[in-house]
Amino acid sequence: MSAIEMKNIVKEYGDGFPAVNDVSIDVQDGEFMILVGPSGCGKSTLLRMIVGLEDITSGDMIIGGERVNDKAPRDRNLAMVFQNYALYPHLTVYENIAFPLRLSKQFSEEEIDRKVREASKTLELDEHLERKPGNLSGGQRQRVAMGRAIVREAQAFLFDEPLSNLDAKLRGQMRTEISRLQKRLGITTVYVTHDQTEAMTLGDRVAVLKRGILQQLATPRELYEHPVNLFVAGFIGSPPMNFLPATVKGDQVEMPFGTVRIPKEKADRVKDKGLLIAGIRPEYFDDASVVEEHKLKEGSTFRATIDVVEWLGNEAYAYIPFDAAPEVAAQLTELEKELDMEAMRPQLIIALDSASMIKEGDEAEVWVDTRKMHLFDPETQENLTVGL
Amino acid sequence: MNRKTGVGTWIGFIAILVWCLLPVVWILSLSFKPVAETTVGSAQFLPKSWTLQNYQDIISNPDFTRALLNSFGISLIATLLAVIFATFAAYAIARLDFKGKRLVLSIALAIAMFPVVALVGPLFDLWRTIGLFNTWPGLIIPYMSFTLPLAIWTLSAFFREIPWEMEQAAQVDGATSWQAFRKVIVPLAAPGVFTAAILTFFFAWNEFVLAISLTSSTASRTVPAQLSFFVGPDPFNPPYSQLATASVVVTVPVIILVLLFQRKIVAGLTSGAVKG
Repeated sequence: MSAIEMKNIVKEYGDGFPAVNDVSIDVQDGEFMILVGPSGCGKSTLLRMIVGLEDITSGDMIIGGERVNDKAPRDRNLAMVFQNYALYPHLTVYENIAFPLRLSKQFSEEEIDRKVREASKTLELDEHLERKPGNLSGGQRQRVAMGRAIVREAQAFLFDEPLSNLDAKLRGQMRTEISRLQKRLGITTVYVTHDQTEAMTLGDRVAVLKRGILQQLATPRELYEHPVNLFVAGFIGSPPMNFLPATVKGDQVEMPFGTVRIPKEKADRVKDKGLLIAGIRPEYFDDASVVEEHKLKEGSTFRATIDVVEWLGNEAYAYIPFDAAPEVAAQLTELEKELDMEAMRPQLIIALDSASMIKEGDEAEVWVDTRKMHLFDPETQENLTVGL
Repeated sequence: MNRKTGVGTWIGFIAILVWCLLPVVWILSLSFKPVAETTVGSAQFLPKSWTLQNYQDIISNPDFTRALLNSFGISLIATLLAVIFATFAAYAIARLDFKGKRLVLSIALAIAMFPVVALVGPLFDLWRTIGLFNTWPGLIIPYMSFTLPLAIWTLSAFFREIPWEMEQAAQVDGATSWQAFRKVIVPLAAPGVFTAAILTFFFAWNEFVLAISLTSSTASRTVPAQLSFFVGPDPFNPPYSQLATASVVVTVPVIILVLLFQRKIVAGLTSGAVKG
């Protein structure tokens, strides 16, 4: 077990394209670090540079206080779980798990046996030890791949999108399993995913990457409540944050649905900035008729016609289309592209309390908690109200 | 409906079987006929009187047994060497990015298409000058050069099928490149290796043109070449039953080989390596 320190890591490919550009991340001993971002953001490349499967163009990779840039993967003593598991199909489950131990040549047959059985017990693979990977289900293969990792006393675990090949139900299960295992073993872990739910639920800290550049490195809560820019704000959270064109005049914010009032400290930060992008999460809205009296005063209300309602039981999502000003429309389309989303006509997504009786086609009074509104600069995409 | 297609399939099946196996059965039947019966031009399919005399004669013929030994030795050595070289070459072609990779592959293919007979003259002169004429290496070397391209092509296709991650996983698990190759890649490519081995062995075992041209005595003459010397006392009346017997004897090892390895050739060994 040891800390992993990445200092100004750069990865350039032959054509000069920087897949990873000046990324510095320090993973503390025993920490669960998530690398997250849309496809092509360089997160897998970064992970492969940690394990040594990819050369580092410049920067320092320090594992356990030792610079490992020029070390071969086998000398780094790291364990990795691959996206497609990469089990050895010609070996039984037992031999797959024993493979790294046999290679190290420092264990006797009894020690290997004890370690393999310990790992298989932890992962509930006991009855499958003599089977070949080809006869196992996806979840079982996933566990064998993890067994091969935990059987070694590696300095750290690396996961490369380990759950993306499982179906949704199993994914949730394995997610909890990985989290529990990591907590129990207390081993430093770097986990790559494109799924923000996995990132939020598993990580002690999360590094959000976009096109090879580190956007924000923070705890899941901080990412959610204080995203530093439009990209992080849009990437974290499901359904995603709403982005609306907004013009600030004093403490009044003009948005497509009407004018709302924002707290003074936020208004001070964005004085005289002209046209901005307001970011409001769906859950900061609600049906005004079910909001408690004292909360109602904290925010503002506006009237809008509800286009579609999706009722999920515990809550409901309402969709309200709007027209974006052309100055920000281009920005928003670009953002959607970066987030791997389909560019659709702009619409507001609102999470309603399940008690709400709003129906499709209704004109309803909608309450918005303006204390939690973020305001972004459309040019730099930075969050102007960060920390408030 | 189901029954109808069943009948049709069976008719086709039998037709193909008869088409393919009739010559083989004919040779088998010939090999059990006494020499006297074939020399008078026996027209019937099955022997009038069954005999094992032909087999006894051929086994006790020192020229034939020596040729059989040559055939086995030359084919096995050529196969072994060709497969080993082809495995390394194919692995490099499948995994490494080096200049002239396409060139190597195209040249290999060109060699495979080169007519064997065009090489006989030059090789004959060359071999006589450097002393390889009428020796085992004198046949092993050309056999290898003709079978290597095919083996390389077959094997590199197999290697390309093996996911890169297998090797990377092995490296992360602590294997050197050589260990990853030996413990993970080669076992996974086993069906390809066996396919290449069988193709090479067949080529060397059945080859005639080089075998007859580059040998002059039973010191290195292989069975297909030796068979052409089975003329008997009367050149207008070759001992058909003897020839047939020799054919049967040389076909048996090939059949055994195929039966032994056909299970190994079955692909799909890689199933389960990655997501299902």
